[in-house]
Amino acid sequence: MSEEEPVPVRRRTVLKVATAAGTAAAAGAAVPVTGAAEGATAPAATVPPTVPAGASVEITLSVNGARRRVAVEPRVTLLDALRDRIGLTGTKKGCDRGECGACTVLADGERIKSCLTLAVMRQGSRITTVEGLARGDDLHPVQAAFIRHDAFQCGGCTPGQIMSAVACIAEGHDGSDDEVREWMSGNLCRCAAYQNIVAAVRDAGREMRG
Amino acid sequence: MRAFGYTAPADPATAVRLAAQPGTTYVAGGTDLLNLMRDGAEDHEHLVDINRLDLAAVTADDAGLHVGGLARMRQVAEDRRVRTGFPVLSQALLASASPQVRIMASIGGNLLQRTRCGYFRDPGSACNKRVPGSGCPAVEGQNRMHAVLGGSPHCIATHPSDLAVALLALDAVVRVLGPDGARQIPVGELYREPGDTPHLENTLRPGELITAVDVPGGPLAQRSRYRKLRDRATFEFAVVSVAAAVHLRGGRVRDVRLAFGGIGTRPWRSPEAEDALRGRALTAVAVAEAGRALVRGAQPRQHNAFKVELVQRALTGALHEWGALR
Amino acid sequence: MSRLVGRDVARVEGRAKVTGAARYAADQPVAGVLRGFLVLSTVARGEVTRIDTGEARGGPGVVAVYTHRDMPRLAVPEGFYVKGFLPMQDARVYHNGQPVALVVAETFEQARDAAARVRVEYRAETPVTALADAAGQAYLPPPFHGEPNEVIRGDTGAALAAAPVRLDVEYRAPAHHHNPIEPHATTAVWDDGRLTVYESAQGVNATRQMLAAALGVPPANVRVISEYLGGGFGAKGLVWPHTLLNAAVAREIGRPVRTVLTRAQMYTSNGHRAEFHQRLRIGATRRGVLTGIEHTSTAQLSRTDQSVFNSSIATHTLYACPNVHVRQLGADLDLPTSSFMRSPELAAQFGLETALDELSHRTGVDPVDLRLRNHADAGPGKHLAECYRMGAAEFGWRRRERRPGATRDGDEYVGWGMATETHTYGNFEASARVTVGTDGRVQVAVATQEIGTGTYTVLSQVAADAVGVPLDRVTTRIGDTDLPPAGLSVASSTMPSVIPSVDRAGQDARAAVIRLAVADSRSPLHGVPPERVVTDRGRLVDSADPSRSDTYRAVVGRHGRAVPATAAVRNTPGHTYGAVFVEVRVHHRYGRVRVTRVVGAYDPGRVLNRRTLRGQVIGGVTWGIGYALTEHTVVDRATGRVVNPNLSTYLVPVNADAPPSVTALFVDQPDPGSAAMGAKGFGETPMTGVPAAIGNAIFHATGRRLREVPFTQDKLLL
Repeated sequence: MSEEEPVPVRRRTVLKVATAAGTAAAAGAAVPVTGAAEGATAPAATVPPTVPAGASVEITLSVNGARRRVAVEPRVTLLDALRDRIGLTGTKKGCDRGECGACTVLADGERIKSCLTLAVMRQGSRITTVEGLARGDDLHPVQAAFIRHDAFQCGGCTPGQIMSAVACIAEGHDGSDDEVREWMSGNLCRCAAYQNIVAAVRDAGREMRG
Repeated sequence: MRAFGYTAPADPATAVRLAAQPGTTYVAGGTDLLNLMRDGAEDHEHLVDINRLDLAAVTADDAGLHVGGLARMRQVAEDRRVRTGFPVLSQALLASASPQVRIMASIGGNLLQRTRCGYFRDPGSACNKRVPGSGCPAVEGQNRMHAVLGGSPHCIATHPSDLAVALLALDAVVRVLGPDGARQIPVGELYREPGDTPHLENTLRPGELITAVDVPGGPLAQRSRYRKLRDRATFEFAVVSVAAAVHLRGGRVRDVRLAFGGIGTRPWRSPEAEDALRGRALTAVAVAEAGRALVRGAQPRQHNAFKVELVQRALTGALHEWGALR
Repeated sequence: MSRLVGRDVARVEGRAKVTGAARYAADQPVAGVLRGFLVLSTVARGEVTRIDTGEARGGPGVVAVYTHRDMPRLAVPEGFYVKGFLPMQDARVYHNGQPVALVVAETFEQARDAAARVRVEYRAETPVTALADAAGQAYLPPPFHGEPNEVIRGDTGAALAAAPVRLDVEYRAPAHHHNPIEPHATTAVWDDGRLTVYESAQGVNATRQMLAAALGVPPANVRVISEYLGGGFGAKGLVWPHTLLNAAVAREIGRPVRTVLTRAQMYTSNGHRAEFHQRLRIGATRRGVLTGIEHTSTAQLSRTDQSVFNSSIATHTLYACPNVHVRQLGADLDLPTSSFMRSPELAAQFGLETALDELSHRTGVDPVDLRLRNHADAGPGKHLAECYRMGAAEFGWRRRERRPGATRDGDEYVGWGMATETHTYGNFEASARVTVGTDGRVQVAVATQEIGTGTYTVLSQVAADAVGVPLDRVTTRIGDTDLPPAGLSVASSTMPSVIPSVDRAGQDARAAVIRLAVADSRSPLHGVPPERVVTDRGRLVDSADPSRSDTYRAVVGRHGRAVPATAAVRNTPGHTYGAVFVEVRVHHRYGRVRVTRVVGAYDPGRVLNRRTLRGQVIGGVTWGIGYALTEHTVVDRATGRVVNPNLSTYLVPVNADAPPSVTALFVDQPDPGSAAMGAKGFGETPMTGVPAAIGNAIFHATGRRLREVPFTQDKLLL
């Protein structure tokens, strides 16, 4: 099994293993199960690794440049894996429905809403969160521009705004105020610091392009 | 959301075999599925992650455009061949969702996303689509965003996909792979009207996977446009939308395709409106007739009657703004 | 000496907020914390007849499932808790979305899953959920916190009968929800009878009091911590059931429990701006001078509480009208209790300021002139007339075409509208401690809150000036009941309430250090009369002989222990004013409205920080756009369920909805009545007039008068 494959692991307690097995059986025996025990008998070429319902799987993510191994049930979103399992709470849960953008992170360099993806689907991905932007004491140009332009008030949406802004600039969608307004509209700011967000994104974009 | 099992197969045949099992469904972008499961509007025991399948390519040839079922919304929207040869697709995609979701969401998933009817998304409410036979509170309730065409006493929910409207206008065909092999379904035959069975939204069979969408090219596709009206400036589903492709020759409509979003229980093609225009000079009178043909038979409810008027204006405006109408 | 106050100072907590280091309530790491998840009722009225928790209890990781049968009995607290009842104490259901069970499990996913497996059966009664269905049931509720719901001045009936110009108009607004980006989050940690709660709270002390009262523990045994709030807007000003229930079950279980509301749950769990109908009868002279105003409104109340939050105070305070009759009626519906929501005067102000525009059109008197003709003098602290003048000049108002519907630009009609803005800000007792450390650093400590308005920053500015140190030597600690007590961060009261005490404590600390220095034989200032010592950027200097100086660090360092000073200075509540001018564009075919240009001129008293003040203006303007154009809590009339409990169909304005151009002007004259260095409470002012200004501009653009928000395109198919 390569490093890129999710590795199914058993739950930590006997009770939970029993429950998980029961659920898996109820779910239908036709679902191929590959685990530590059954793996040897399964033809690896045709049967992909399966995580049974109720079991956790250990995945590897590169988070802000650090390799993180984390055990998650398949139903755990990337957002909850970051916040509850890895302890990176900079990424915010505003709606848990992809409607506010506070949970925006970069996955392999692209902005995504981390509440709308399962952690297990991101096995092997490079994830960048708001905690991973600054280099020591040096803020990322977008972070610095957000302070300079007062592009936030309460700060609840700010990590998502900043990650979205980093991507917006990388995508080249910061050519005009109107373009930024459209391409930053996936991130709600209830304090409505919108004009200042637009100014910060444009300023940071100019700075980053030199 | 229950604890579900998870498999990420590497080949379509395995994916289809797995997904044909009861209680199993596919996940690609996950951008709608996760909300459906969190809300309790859907409940699956096992997810088959299809992101490892090699179905994300976008190609073009003499027959037209071929979009892999796993191509992402942004990828298609920004494809140069799509922008020039099939502008309605690019415009519909860019008018959809948010930049983040367009990066995540697949074309196949977009076509199979489910209605945003608030009653459907709330297990605390009745809904025939979610729980057959439980009733439709929207018919007599809060229905401002609901359909005026294609509804039944059992359901008046709109289909939310902008892309589907655009594909419908271009006579696109969906290629699917299922336990019984591959087949093709015209987009116009992919969606069902609710009738007595609003829980059956499409004509896919259990386990079938959208592997690609084929879009015929040509003058119509090149002269296609999408116009979406909504209450917020952006990042919202359509109140009404229009996908129009018009081929004019000698001042007359040689061919035309008109499809609409926000007004129908499925992406709404209007042959009646097209017939009202075909062969005629594209005058304000002709377009007004087409608009009336479109909404003939419309069944407005308490809060959505304005859509009958607004969609006709959207049609007029769309043709006008694009210079097709003088 | 003031070096920082009044300046455009960047937020001192900015770095924490842009790096993810700022810890919000749900971010606090708590070892072994369990996760709670609420089960909410699916009927609006009736009672629970059966709850089956068996499957939920059997779920993996589930620790407990509480229902009304076994939830610890709690006292209904009074004061900062307004629901009038506590859920899960009996079987009764008063509104849809009321907590009926609380599941506690090891993980969030397990708790949520188990919550979905709690089966509840009800005996349901038919609810009444819309004001339109409660006609004839409106009544005059008792005074709200001492404020009467009926105000009578003069003889309005006679004035209306005699008025040469009469207006009789009705306006309507649906319910709205605060929707801060950060959901409510509460974490309860018990340790030997002492409770620590990490809470997203606009009032840590209010939360402490309500917890103590509900749980029957001494307030001294309850600590509430709220370092940062991801927005509140009133939703977190009062205390709501989940906080009390979560703490109660944590005590039962003996482990920390964290409950975070889902976005959908927030639509029934923390109040809202009540549905509001109003009728205005106005009498005036042909020159537009008001002779009588009768303002009768009906707000949605609940079955369990009669608080009217949508205040009509401006109707009898803003203009000089001799005859006024205000009645704030309410109707009890089977809906959750409402609450304060940003600028609670807004709902009534929308009516008043729209009616004045209608009067302006009727009389032919320019809207600004009409307001000036009715200007009420209120002493030297009111600069509203100056706001009209500044705003109109900046906006170019005098170039306005008089006729409605006369200006078209491409596919859009262009209209200009204006309205007066006014807000009544509150005041709470507050004490503050300023400490100069042995390292010369200054610490401000006060149990107030940062809700995004700039509390950390402005308090740091004030303390830095009071002590005489650079801003980067100041650390401000707030949001913790262990700190000197202060009140709620609601009603724009934070700055006017807290600043006087911070300023005084800072000056006292400064004086104490000066006394130390002049008494210290090791100080170059030894023997200098204290009043001769001035402070500047961390130095203490003899003003008569600048060669003699010392530093805070040296003086307090030699002293060997920090020098604290505590002060409690009471300020008074008051009013702020402004005038807002708006340009809208209305699509001729689709009716879609865009707000393209806004100028606001305000009288906030003395400007303490131009940057954070401007932030409140751009925020308030966009909130006004949400109220006027997009926001609308949609309630199913038959069931009382919210149909759009999310952020994709409840339309909070997005970036592209915000006006490209907003200009904020400030009179910047200290209010002689304010102990907060002349500053007034401002934050909620620049929203109050925006919806009316937008509606007035739509009328000017199109000739169509809209009297019910939101002004969606279907209402403007011209």
